[in-house]
Amino acid sequence: MTDCGCTKAQEELEEFLHNELSAAQCQDIRDHLANCDDCSAEHLVGVTLTTKVKEACQEKAPDELRDMILGSLQKVDAAS
Amino acid sequence: MTAVTFDRAFSRTTSAPSRPRARRRVAQARSLDSRMMTDTTPNEALQTEADELAERRRLFEEQALPFMDQLYGAAMRMTRNPADASDLVQETFVKAFAAFAQFEQGTNLKAWLYRILTNTFINVYRKKQRDPYQGTIDEMEDWQFGGAESATSSSSRSAEAEAIDRMPASAVKDALQAIPEDFRLAVYFADVEGFAYQEIADIMKTPVGTVMSRLHRGRRLLRELLADYARERGMTAAVAATTTKGSSR
Repeated sequence: MTDCGCTKAQEELEEFLHNELSAAQCQDIRDHLANCDDCSAEHLVGVTLTTKVKEACQEKAPDELRDMILGSLQKVDAAS
Repeated sequence: MTAVTFDRAFSRTTSAPSRPRARRRVAQARSLDSRMMTDTTPNEALQTEADELAERRRLFEEQALPFMDQLYGAAMRMTRNPADASDLVQETFVKAFAAFAQFEQGTNLKAWLYRILTNTFINVYRKKQRDPYQGTIDEMEDWQFGGAESATSSSSRSAEAEAIDRMPASAVKDALQAIPEDFRLAVYFADVEGFAYQEIADIMKTPVGTVMSRLHRGRRLLRELLADYARERGMTAAVAATTTKGSSR
């Protein structure tokens, strides 16, 4: 058990969420989250925010865009 | 959209590796040699050139076009409207194709395309819709963003997570659109595209520390906007009930 404590956990939660920490650092945070309701609730907010933003931003390009792009690539080729 | 030639700003991003291109050329030439086993006549050389171009386009279409929807999503968050987003994506693909010989196969094509997209956006579109915050936003202190950590107890945080979870996509998009552009892009690149901080730093041409600060501030603003939204819609009735115990309000 190498629980890192609230202060360090709060500082590093965002990097933890974005998978930017080393394996050892991640383990420290995980150990802390297992023992701390406040920090794990904070982490849940972070995870939920990421999931929500990701879901909300899924877009499908208009159907005609693909053909427009293919058309302009052909022109680039013809010009070169 | 006809911008086929490079503008200077674009070539800045792609100027770095010139060697791989040479290597590719040699490799291509070798494979052609072994296929033909003869000296090429001028006609054959022309044919070879045409084949190479066709092959390059086929490869580009196969590898780069699948990112169209994703790039369009990012372009929508940048330009805020479908017509400009389509133009931006098209221009990005044209520039990427023109520079495709400089792309080193095996490196991150998605990040490369996003660099071109972001660059094109900044050089072409941002000029049109200049954001008054731009340029000073990174120097602002944390307190200037107002609203310190709102929820303090774990029960109110759980309620906050629940409220965010029930938020309609349109509210999330509106909130994202309302935060300063550099913050919005950092959040988009990290949370939607899953780019590593270093990749975002390369795309936005800024140090990793700046990426982390933009991300942190962007996410915090987003959270506050979503909390406001939830409060206005009465989505936080549960939060209010659980926090009155501990809050002074």
